[in-house]
Amino acid sequence: MPEVPIVMPQLGESIAEAIIVSFLVKPGDFVTADQPIIEVETNKATMQVTAPCSGKIVEFKAKENESYPVGAILGTILVSEEEATKLGLTTKHPQPIGTAGKPGAIPHKSIEEKPRVQPTVTGLPVPANLAGASYMSPRMKARLNELGLRAADLAGIQGTGAGGRVTIQDLERFLAQIEKHKTTPASPLRIAVADAMRRSWTRPIAMVAMPVQLDKMLEHRKNFPEKPGPALYVVRALALALAEDSTPAGRLIGNKIVHPQSIDIAVAVEVSDGVMVPVIRNADKKPLRDLIGPYRELVSLARGKKLPPEMTGGSIATVTNYGVFGLTFGTPIPLPEQTLVLGLGAAQKVPHWDESLGQFIPITQAYLTLSFDHRVLDGGGAGRLLGRVAYLLNHPELL
Amino acid sequence: MSITYLEAIREALARALAEDPRVFIYGQDVGRFGGAFKATKNLIEQFPGRVIDAPISEDAIIGLAVGAAIEGLRPVIEIQFADFSLLGLNQIVNQAATLFWRTGTPCPITIRLPSGGTIGSGPFHSQCLEAIYAHFPGLIVMTPATVEDAYTMLLDAIKIDDPVIFIEHKLLYYHLKADHIHDEGLPVGKARIAREGRDLTIVTYSAMVHESIAAAEELASEGYEIEIVDLRTVKPIDTDTVIASVARTGRLLCVSEAWPWGGVGAEVIARVVSEGFGLLDAPPLRLNAKDTPIPFHPNLWSMHRPTARTIADAARKVLRF
Repeated sequence: MPEVPIVMPQLGESIAEAIIVSFLVKPGDFVTADQPIIEVETNKATMQVTAPCSGKIVEFKAKENESYPVGAILGTILVSEEEATKLGLTTKHPQPIGTAGKPGAIPHKSIEEKPRVQPTVTGLPVPANLAGASYMSPRMKARLNELGLRAADLAGIQGTGAGGRVTIQDLERFLAQIEKHKTTPASPLRIAVADAMRRSWTRPIAMVAMPVQLDKMLEHRKNFPEKPGPALYVVRALALALAEDSTPAGRLIGNKIVHPQSIDIAVAVEVSDGVMVPVIRNADKKPLRDLIGPYRELVSLARGKKLPPEMTGGSIATVTNYGVFGLTFGTPIPLPEQTLVLGLGAAQKVPHWDESLGQFIPITQAYLTLSFDHRVLDGGGAGRLLGRVAYLLNHPELL
Repeated sequence: MSITYLEAIREALARALAEDPRVFIYGQDVGRFGGAFKATKNLIEQFPGRVIDAPISEDAIIGLAVGAAIEGLRPVIEIQFADFSLLGLNQIVNQAATLFWRTGTPCPITIRLPSGGTIGSGPFHSQCLEAIYAHFPGLIVMTPATVEDAYTMLLDAIKIDDPVIFIEHKLLYYHLKADHIHDEGLPVGKARIAREGRDLTIVTYSAMVHESIAAAEELASEGYEIEIVDLRTVKPIDTDTVIASVARTGRLLCVSEAWPWGGVGAEVIARVVSEGFGLLDAPPLRLNAKDTPIPFHPNLWSMHRPTARTIADAARKVLRF
C-alpha cells in the first residue's frame, strides 16, 4: 500500500516555517481526510496541519518543539491504493527526512515529490492581494472623517484584516477601549503642530550633522549691549549661505523645483503646549546688528502668542535652537512647506588639539544639524550648506 | 398540518379563483393534466371553465392573456419551464410591459415561471431569467424563497395591476415545507431579513436563500454572524433594506443562481457602491452560477451553481479582507 507524505503546508503568505507544538494523533491511528493531526505555531498564530487524505499514520518524522520549513515532510500516512488513486496523490514513497541532513532542512526531493493535493490548514486567513497595513477601506475613511481622526491615529491598532489591515471592527474595538482611559482635550496649537508634523512626515526626511566652534561667535556677541543669542547668528549665517545659492531651500512639486522668492527665515520659539515660528523677512539683506531689535520683538510676540499673521508663514527654512533645553543633538522635522530645518545643539567645552601649539586647548563646540527633504537635497549639498554656515559662524565679522 | 411550496402555490391559485371571478388560469396542460408540476391539480374540477389548456405556443398564450387583461380579466399564465417564456418574450416585453405606459390601460397578468436547476435538467429546463425580465420597465419580478411568500406573493401578483413575472424555484416545490401559511405577508417590494448578523450581509433570493442560510450556519461555527437579506422581489428592488444591512455589517456578498453578467447581484452592488460607498469595509463580492450554459451532468451541475460550500468560501473571502 502506498505511503503519502504529510507536508508542512504554506501557512500564510509571509510564513516560511513553523514550530511543532504537539501531535494530535499517534502512529497507528486511523485518520480521515482534513482531520487536524498536528498543532503548529508560527510567528502569527497557532494552527493545525490536517491530514492530506484518509489512512493510517505510519510515523511522525518531525519532533515537538522543532521548527520545520514549508514543504518539509513531517510524517507519512499509509493509504489504500484506491484512496491514493482517487485523490490523485503520488504513490511514490517519499524521501525520508533523515537523508536531507539535519532535521528541519528541506528534504532534497520534496519539491518533485510534493503531492498534487496540498494538505489544507484550518483557521488560516487568506491574504488579499491589494491589502496592506496602510490600506483604508471607504468605510474606514468615512468613519475617520466622522470622528475627526487621521491615519496616524490608527498607528497603535493591531489590524486583524488581510495583510494586517485595520478593519472597521478593529477601529471600533480600539475606540471602545480608549473610552476607559483618562483623556484631556488637546489645545488648538497642539493640534496645529500635530497636523504640520504629520503632513511633513509624508516626505523622506534625512539629517546630517557637523560640529561647529562657537568661541568667536560668543566673543563677537559681547560687542552688543543686547547680547544677541546664538540662534540669531545661525539665522543670519543660514540667510547668507542661502542667498549665495537658494537651491537647497527649493521645494520639489511634481517635476519642478520651486525656488524661494526671498530669504525669509523662521525661528522656532517654544510656547506653552507647542511651538511658534515667527519669521525674519529678508534676513540676507540686513546685517546682524540691524536684526537684533526686530528679532527680540518677534520672539516676545511669539511667546505671548500675539504674532500677527504677516509675521509668520511663508518662510523658506527654520532655525531651531534646541540647545536651550540642554540637548546636544536632535532630529527636528522641517515644516511641511519647507525643505530645511537647521538645529543648534547645546554648547560644550571640549578639548581641541591645536596643531600649531602642539597641545589640547579648551574650545566651545556645538553640533549643527540639518534635516532636509531628501527628494530635493542630498548629503553632499546638505554638508556644503552646513559647512558654509559653520564657516560664517566662525567668522562672525562677516555677519 | 404541513404544506409544501408547490401546494402553497396551488392554494393561492384556488383562493384567487374563488375570490375574484375575473381570474382564470391558462397554460399548457394546466387543465385535466394539472400542470407540468401539478401546480393546478384538480383546479379544473373546482373551477370549471376557468382553468384552460393552451396550445403549444408561448407567443399565443401571452398574447391572448394581454388581450384578456385589456378586456378586464386577470389571467394567470403558467409557462411549463421559465426557459420557454423566451418564445413569448415579444408579447411580454413589447406588449404587456408597455401597455399601461402607451395607453393608460393596465395589464394585470401574472406569468408563473418554474425556474432554476434541478439534477440533470440541463440547459433548456434550468434557467433563471429574473435579470432579463427585471431589465424591462413595466414588469414586476417576484422571486419567493419560502412557502409563506409563495402563497402571499402569488396572491399579491394576481391582485396588482402591473404584469408580474412570478419566478418559482423548482427545487423548492416538493421539499420546502411550512407548518402553515398566513393570509398576509410583507408588502410587495419589501425585502426580508432572513437571518440577523453583524459580520457580513448576504443579499440573495429564491432557492439561494436556503443555500445561504446553510452557509451561514457553517460560518457560525467559525464565529461569524452572517446577515441574510431575502430580496423577495428583485424588481422593484428594496435598496433601503440592503443599505441598512450593509450599514450594520460593512461587508456585502450577493448570491444568485443566475449568471453573473448584468445580474441582480451586479445591480445590488452598483446601488450599494453608489449610495453607500462609505459603509463598505471590504470590496463587495458576488457569487453566481458559472458563466456557461447549464450542464446536464449532475457532477458538473453541482459545480456550476452556487452551493452552501461555495457561498461559505466566498463569504470567507469577504470576511477575511
